[in-house]
Amino acid sequence: MDILKGIFVDPFADMIAAPDFLLQVLWEGLVGGVLYALIALGFVLIFKSSRIFNFAQGIMVVFAALTLVGLHEKGVPALLALPLTLGVMFMLAVAIERAVLRPLVNQPDIILFMATIGITLFLIGLGEIIFGGENKVMITEQLGIPTGSFTLEPFGGFVSIEQKDLTAVIGAVLLVGVLLLFLNKSKIGRAIRALGDDHQAALSVGISLSTIWVIVWFIAGVIALATGIVWGARAGVSFALEVIAYKALPVLMLGGLESVMGAIIGGLAIGILEKLFEIYWGQPLLGGNTEMWFAYVLALIVLLFRPQGLFGERIIERV
Amino acid sequence: MFYRTAGQFKTSYEADHALFPVRQDAYLLAFILLLAFVVFPLTASEFAFRALLIPVLIYSLAALGLNILTGYAGQLSLGTGAFMGVGAYACYKLLTVFPEMNIVIAIAMSGFFSAAVGVLFGLPSLRIKGFYLAIATLAAQFFLVWLFQKWAWLYNYNASGAIQVPNIEMFGITVAGPRAEAITQYYFVLCFVCAMTFFAINITRGRIGRMWKAVRDMDIAAELVGINLMRAKLTAFFVSSYIVGVSGALFVFLWRGAAEANLFDIPLSFRVLFIAIIGGLGSILGNYLGAILIVALPVIIGSVPEAFGIPIGSATVEHLNVMLVGALIITFLIVEPHGLARFWAMIREKLILWPFPH
Amino acid sequence: MKHWIRKAAVSTALVATVMLTGPASAQGDGIYVPNLSYRTGPFASTGTPLMNGQRDYITMLNERDGGLNGTKLVYDECETGYNTEKGVECYEKTKANAVVTQPWSTGITLQVLPKSNVDNIPILAPGYGFSAMADGKVFQWAYNPPSSYWDGAYMILQDISGGDLSTLNGKKIAFLHLDHPFGKEPLPLLEKLSAEHGFELVPIPVGLTEMQNQSAQWLQIRRERPDNVIMWGWGAMNAGAMTEAAKTKYPMDQFYGVWWSGHDGDLKLIGDQGKGYRSISWSVPNSESALMQDIKKHVIDAGKSQINQGEDEFDSVFYQRGVMISLILVEGIRAAQEEFDTQNPNAEQVRWGLENIKLDEARLAELGAEGMLVPFSTSCADHTGHGGGWILEWDGSKFVKASDLLKADRDVIRPLEEEKAKEYAEANSPWPVNEECSM
Repeated sequence: MDILKGIFVDPFADMIAAPDFLLQVLWEGLVGGVLYALIALGFVLIFKSSRIFNFAQGIMVVFAALTLVGLHEKGVPALLALPLTLGVMFMLAVAIERAVLRPLVNQPDIILFMATIGITLFLIGLGEIIFGGENKVMITEQLGIPTGSFTLEPFGGFVSIEQKDLTAVIGAVLLVGVLLLFLNKSKIGRAIRALGDDHQAALSVGISLSTIWVIVWFIAGVIALATGIVWGARAGVSFALEVIAYKALPVLMLGGLESVMGAIIGGLAIGILEKLFEIYWGQPLLGGNTEMWFAYVLALIVLLFRPQGLFGERIIERV
Repeated sequence: MFYRTAGQFKTSYEADHALFPVRQDAYLLAFILLLAFVVFPLTASEFAFRALLIPVLIYSLAALGLNILTGYAGQLSLGTGAFMGVGAYACYKLLTVFPEMNIVIAIAMSGFFSAAVGVLFGLPSLRIKGFYLAIATLAAQFFLVWLFQKWAWLYNYNASGAIQVPNIEMFGITVAGPRAEAITQYYFVLCFVCAMTFFAINITRGRIGRMWKAVRDMDIAAELVGINLMRAKLTAFFVSSYIVGVSGALFVFLWRGAAEANLFDIPLSFRVLFIAIIGGLGSILGNYLGAILIVALPVIIGSVPEAFGIPIGSATVEHLNVMLVGALIITFLIVEPHGLARFWAMIREKLILWPFPH
Repeated sequence: MKHWIRKAAVSTALVATVMLTGPASAQGDGIYVPNLSYRTGPFASTGTPLMNGQRDYITMLNERDGGLNGTKLVYDECETGYNTEKGVECYEKTKANAVVTQPWSTGITLQVLPKSNVDNIPILAPGYGFSAMADGKVFQWAYNPPSSYWDGAYMILQDISGGDLSTLNGKKIAFLHLDHPFGKEPLPLLEKLSAEHGFELVPIPVGLTEMQNQSAQWLQIRRERPDNVIMWGWGAMNAGAMTEAAKTKYPMDQFYGVWWSGHDGDLKLIGDQGKGYRSISWSVPNSESALMQDIKKHVIDAGKSQINQGEDEFDSVFYQRGVMISLILVEGIRAAQEEFDTQNPNAEQVRWGLENIKLDEARLAELGAEGMLVPFSTSCADHTGHGGGWILEWDGSKFVKASDLLKADRDVIRPLEEEKAKEYAEANSPWPVNEECSM
């Protein structure tokens, strides 16, 4: 009886009793969701155009952030370090395409997936040798991102909003907007979508596979850099960041592996629901720390009803 | 010269279906078993037992379990670590609740717990396929590790949250716990692994194995031909998780001596997956080859520079190890996606011809 | 194709040779003291300065004095990444000629503890490990000077309550800890004290994957509104907690941390916003002391250190604490040298040495480390020493000593130590107990 009450009554009572706290929880969830969506975007872009599940996206986030901070430590001014980092990510993309992807062009998906895991390991080892293992501070002020916070006071309580979180949300919205415009309206965007639909047909129309792949990986690198900056600003830059990729996977399951909208909506949904569940059900009833698995179980349940995710393409199999 | 297949005729269907149609393969296996049972125990140091021989056996058993699921039945699973954990914790609870239980029986039974959990988390495979299934198995991975941490009954409310293996005796010899001799544990693990491999070889060569391969290759066609998909997939999960659970119990009880919940986290799952893939999906031999490579690699990287007198910081060794494993995975996937087992198959083909060119 | 076959053959040969080799341990002449360190992974930020300190003290002794009473000390590291599995591997690899093992993680310590009896190597776990290791009767081969986690928890509560724990009645204290044996270690004592003195203990675990993203935990703290937060954090968890605490504007003067949660690097992330944060510590940095100046001269300026000069690591709490830890170890080895009249004591003798350390104020002054370490002495029955600690407070740019020497109440803690030690011995029987000592 108590348990039922604990599941169905108490949490909602708590929510209503402290609405400012609820708003804070929702805000935190939203910020987390935006970050998950950003990472998922990188995955989706690469999967959409080349059907490769790029597990290395997580480490690319860390690498981008570390390169940025590392360059800045060597004395490069922040505004110059940004394009330089983009350049490094570009070269990384080219290197990966040439060394790993090209030789594996016609292999089954699982082989490509394992190859990207191999890339992840390689970059982790390399990164630790180059950059060292300690936590680094993200150069937020130098990049012009406002720090500090401001407080709203609804319902007699308080909601504290960090300015860098707000910048992150606005920045992410802009980035996604630009990305969607690019994909839908520009020539290269169309080429990317064409490649995602049918490799052979795209090739026969004259779309260059390797050029498009390099562009796509580069864009994924840009997204990785944006994610790295935002996430690093919240919690410092170190290799522990790489586990964030694991958080993006349920977003992909939920939203479908090919859909940009799915990544965004899935990310926001999971971010908010995960936080709500943890605070109102996880901590009182289950001892906390449910964020580890909640997103996965949620995505799993959705998949049982819609095996392609909320926005994915229907999987049609032919024999 | 080595593989003289000339003169080896088969005169009955049974002979044709034998496990080693070419006699030399049987000799090779006998040689390897001789090495394993006689030569290594006499020559290897305690360090070699604990750091090389025993982990290779245990990891190859775990990879064997995963290979049955991913290589033979085509269901990609990233939750191997958690299932090993289920086996380990089940064995721990069995031995603490029934202290007089024979450890062999405890380990054999703990596999069933792992199998049950495996079937439970395998149910989504009836609806979900491919990458989505892989990510669904991650749900099992994360949820189970969380459960290991939170459900204090599992580790007997121990303050540190870790399970520790007490000294366990069998026929008067300590087989587990800090007092156990490395050689005893080696023989114990070796016997278990031999038994499980025998079982796995038979099941994969039989009707059930063929059912799994059909599901792996084209499951819709398999269904059309009359194979019950649910039965095929769930038996794959059952058998696979059983083997993985047993390997988990061996992992903790016969090698590590203690375990905490995050031992069974994603890095372990990935390590077993690498062994299975580098060894060769869909083969039994590949698991052993892959395990040898993956286990020996850090030891080699650590020892070789020192043998040549180049000073190298231990942190750098660690980084190099990670980089090398990553590079190796990529190289193997590019050069030989079917893994080391295929390497061996090619060598064997060449040996059959050798020294003749064709 | 042939190329690959050749490669496969070579690798098999390599594997075969390695099979028959033993552990490769860096061995020169001298006393071999390995360290199971971590300079990689999410805990590297807190581990590296400590290990640098340990290394530099030994380097200084070798450079300045030619070693310990003329015998060189061979310092070696094995990288564990704070991973229990790798830690046990490192232990197995380095135990062959070692006179001591330093596991540097409570998780690794707990796994190595049962093996220490069988392998006969003393474990030195200064300020970490299993608090019940203080009972030298049961844990003959394990040492955790100068203060255990239970001491630390008690001393923090002493400072919170102003000396009288009964004033904690009715208060709510949140215990933010790493979900790892290290973080859970003080729970038995805290639960006992909470029942005795009537304060509400709210344990809030932080999983290893959530160290960088503690918003859920700090939302919980905001909801619970505890009177104090005691943090048992390490590595990236400290930094994550600091940034979240500053964000939710939790009053810093109500925020306490154990000695592993008082790292300059973490507090520098929030600088002035961290003013008032306190950490209990059994070591106090003093860069002007004779000892530190010697280290500067012989090691750092001579370029033999791995220290990060740019980050003021020399002045940091953790670096100098690492120096103190090596100091404790060397005192133990020295005691063994004198007692057994040998330049190269073996592991058994060093075990005795660690049991007979007398680091009082006079001795610390002799070593040039006056006021940097709590004075303590170990004995057959007491493997911790219970030297107590000081409260260090962050003033915005560094930690300063903010209290007199605190000591935990032995009468409260001793029965718990004996009880847990007995439980441990029974769970791991047969366990040799040295009946000649008593607490």
